[in-house]
Amino acid sequence: MSALVQETKAEAGAPMLQADGVSIQFGGLKALTDFNLTVRQGDLLGLIGPNGAGKSTAFNVLTGVYQPTQGEVRVAGQRVNGWLPHQINHLGLARTFQNIRLFRALTALDNVKVACRAQGALHPEGVGLGTKVKGAFVNYRDWWRALLLTPRFQHEERELTQQAEHLLEVMGLSHRRDEEARNLPYGEQRRLEIARALGTQPKVLLLDEPAAGMNTREKADLMVLIRKLRDDFKLGVLVIEHDMKLVMGICEFITVLDHGETIARGAPAQVRSDRKVIEAYLGDSYLESHGGAA
Amino acid sequence: METPAIPVPEARSAIPASLRGILPVLVALPVLALFQWLMSDAPFASYLLSVVGVNIILAVSLNIVNGMTGQFSIGHAGFMAVGAYIAGVMSLNLKDVALSFLPVAASDQVFFVASLLVGGLAAALCGFLVGLPSLRLRGDYLAIVTLGFGEIIRVVVQNTDAFGRALGLSGIPQTSTPAMVYFWVFLTVLVARRITGSSHGRSLWAIREDEVAAEAMGVDTTGYKVRAFVISSFFAGIAGGLFAHFVPIINPGSFTFVKSMEIVVMVVLGGLGSTTGAIVAATFLTLLPEGLRSLFSVLGAEGSLAQRVDQIRMPVYGLLLVVLMLARPQGLFGTKELWDVLPRWIPRKRKGLA
Amino acid sequence: MAQLLQHLINGLAAGTIYALVALGYTMVYGVLKLINFAHGDVMMVGVYMGYATAFALGRDMRSSLVGVAAVFAVAMLGCALLGFLIERFAYRPLREKPRLTALITAIGISFALSYGFQLDLGFLPGAAPRAFPEVIEPVEWLVIGDRDVVVWNWQVISFGIAVVLMVSLQYLVFRTRFGRAMRAVSWDHRVAALMGIPTDRVIALTFMLSSALAAGAGLLYAIKDTSVSPLMGLYVGLKAFVAAVIGGIGHVPGAVIGGLVLGLVEEFVVGYAASTWRDAVAFGFLILVLLVKPGGLFGRVAAEKV
Repeated sequence: MSALVQETKAEAGAPMLQADGVSIQFGGLKALTDFNLTVRQGDLLGLIGPNGAGKSTAFNVLTGVYQPTQGEVRVAGQRVNGWLPHQINHLGLARTFQNIRLFRALTALDNVKVACRAQGALHPEGVGLGTKVKGAFVNYRDWWRALLLTPRFQHEERELTQQAEHLLEVMGLSHRRDEEARNLPYGEQRRLEIARALGTQPKVLLLDEPAAGMNTREKADLMVLIRKLRDDFKLGVLVIEHDMKLVMGICEFITVLDHGETIARGAPAQVRSDRKVIEAYLGDSYLESHGGAA
Repeated sequence: METPAIPVPEARSAIPASLRGILPVLVALPVLALFQWLMSDAPFASYLLSVVGVNIILAVSLNIVNGMTGQFSIGHAGFMAVGAYIAGVMSLNLKDVALSFLPVAASDQVFFVASLLVGGLAAALCGFLVGLPSLRLRGDYLAIVTLGFGEIIRVVVQNTDAFGRALGLSGIPQTSTPAMVYFWVFLTVLVARRITGSSHGRSLWAIREDEVAAEAMGVDTTGYKVRAFVISSFFAGIAGGLFAHFVPIINPGSFTFVKSMEIVVMVVLGGLGSTTGAIVAATFLTLLPEGLRSLFSVLGAEGSLAQRVDQIRMPVYGLLLVVLMLARPQGLFGTKELWDVLPRWIPRKRKGLA
Repeated sequence: MAQLLQHLINGLAAGTIYALVALGYTMVYGVLKLINFAHGDVMMVGVYMGYATAFALGRDMRSSLVGVAAVFAVAMLGCALLGFLIERFAYRPLREKPRLTALITAIGISFALSYGFQLDLGFLPGAAPRAFPEVIEPVEWLVIGDRDVVVWNWQVISFGIAVVLMVSLQYLVFRTRFGRAMRAVSWDHRVAALMGIPTDRVIALTFMLSSALAAGAGLLYAIKDTSVSPLMGLYVGLKAFVAAVIGGIGHVPGAVIGGLVLGLVEEFVVGYAASTWRDAVAFGFLILVLLVKPGGLFGRVAAEKV
């Protein structure tokens, strides 16, 4: 097994990511209402819904980009309301972006290395004063090590390179190691984003429309890859996707959002035949002309 | 802690890992000593080289914030002023103190370095206080806040007797030497290069490229920005301290918008993110006006023409920024270093950060 | 008490001018998300245009109503043209580039103007501050007690002009087609373009409008200060920017209130503490606001769309 495989400290099956009655409002607009979700290690969940249903908003609340107006988000058992995205990431939550957000001028290798951390170099996390002081100390010590080029620092740098090279290999990107991210073809950029997210050694991986812009063949490969990643890296995976075939094909449990509200949840077959879901996707007129749900 | 399953290879370099940290310093010291010996009889060249050196420190340190991190500070002269005044006042007060166990010259140098460090630390503290509120927010606030900081410093100096008010401070012991200036140039460049090559540097570049993504990948963006800003301010303070010890007088007029802009132009011209670019641009833009000025005086042109050089510098810098942004926003070198853009026959380093 | 009242009046008079300039920052920031660093310097150029016009009109003519109107008209129209040119040739080509590029350009224009005007080129007045002609002859408009409180006519006039300009701007932004287009562009200029809004024209008009406002405000400032200098744009501009940030940049009434607040704070510091600290006040206040309420009094720190 590779070094990058995380042994979860909590017992297997404990929820790694939990959203409990999460709501968020922008001005008067309710972007998300009473959103509930639990991701455990080994889960492969889907989050679907028509455009503007609040899927990306849900991701942003979970990862700390937005603060929930109500409810609670827990990562690895910790309540993270009010935490910053990087602190939540350190607890084991990583994501990709719908509109690819790579570090465009950095090489593929450096993109992944930014996310990688040396073994045991995880900084203390929290919002209390004590952890802040401790964190500051660790930070300044690390800077001095880098400036003095200590043997330990050099070792850690090589370790990071190793980790990153390994992840590039897993994602089939080794041949792009020294190329700038902006010069990679679209599909490879999407894979590089996943490699980068894996660099943070997550317990839960959130994929925001990973198949967008891919052709059928690439999508099929992607499905295999997502499953493989979940097993090899012992992840819980949550996927936002428009492509029904992909979601139905790989997800074991699906949550459907519409106008910020959860309108259905369940196994793919169950969700597919849900009247509300069909309404949301195809509109009432479809149901009328076809005489109701299947 | 888990043991890595992939063995991490040992360094393939001929230089032992424990030596690599200190090696550049060991090489630099004798070179600087030789340099000092060569310069000892040339006061004007010493002065000119010191000015160039101070500007290199300023440009390279500003590049850490404006180039590598993609923020935009335009008040670097304010931090320089803090270093100059704090170090200057300290040296003035310790002028007649000497360490009995050292020769007088050596004792002076010890106090000089101590003043420099105190000045640098004071500037770094100011950097922290200014950076923390503004760097939490979107980048463009930093421009205004740093500009405002320069103004606050000017007002504080003009209202404080210990800083000589508007008249300035004179009589600061002239203990600076070109070798000392270039030792700090060397340290600044070394620090900038080592930051670039470390995980810290990568985090800074990541912030420059995409702050949201960097934050999502676990980079403490505010923390990194503030630390970059503190380091940058520290070296600006050192540059100010050095400056105060080789010019006859410092006054608020030495550290105005004009000085800040000069440094910004150096960094933008050299290429935001390129350390060697900052060095080349700083050298060029310091020597050019000097050269023009001496040229005019040699040609026997009346004093006004030589004065024109100073007068015309600022509008030219302003236009230069506009033209650069429209025609060549990456400056001379972009984010590359000198050795990446040199002709083929010089062996290149493997492409790292682009 | 009388002293307090006097400071209040002076503060409000200065504040309305800051507010007018701040409106320009806020409008341009609204549509382009750009801190138009050169805004204050455009204002300064406008003041010099007014200065030249006032001299051309001669002593008798310039203090008549027509003369004053001519001074303001020339300055405001000239500035609108300057704002248009800057937007067209410096900012527009950079609109799709990283934001830093436009910011650096703006800083460059600012310094080219403020230091270019200091050059001793014959047709430019040079670096030294000049006395601004009395286009509005100062008359005591209201005197309370034994000259305890004095309100000058130009304070009243400038307050009046400022209020009229603000109200019309509010009307323009929220009640007209152009205002709606402006707000649409400010929301997302790419989408606005897809909806058939002539984005380029809206942005250009916004620049012209804000520059004209700045010229008007600059003239009022020059009348108050009875002087004009190449660096006034840098100082007044920066303070006005601080006012815009205090109110919440991008927020129209916020800019007005921010300007008034800043004017009053400065006046009280000068009146009750020390006048030599005047220039540090605005920036100290800015840092304080950013620490306590980063979005300004009325704005919110908008999370970037992910």
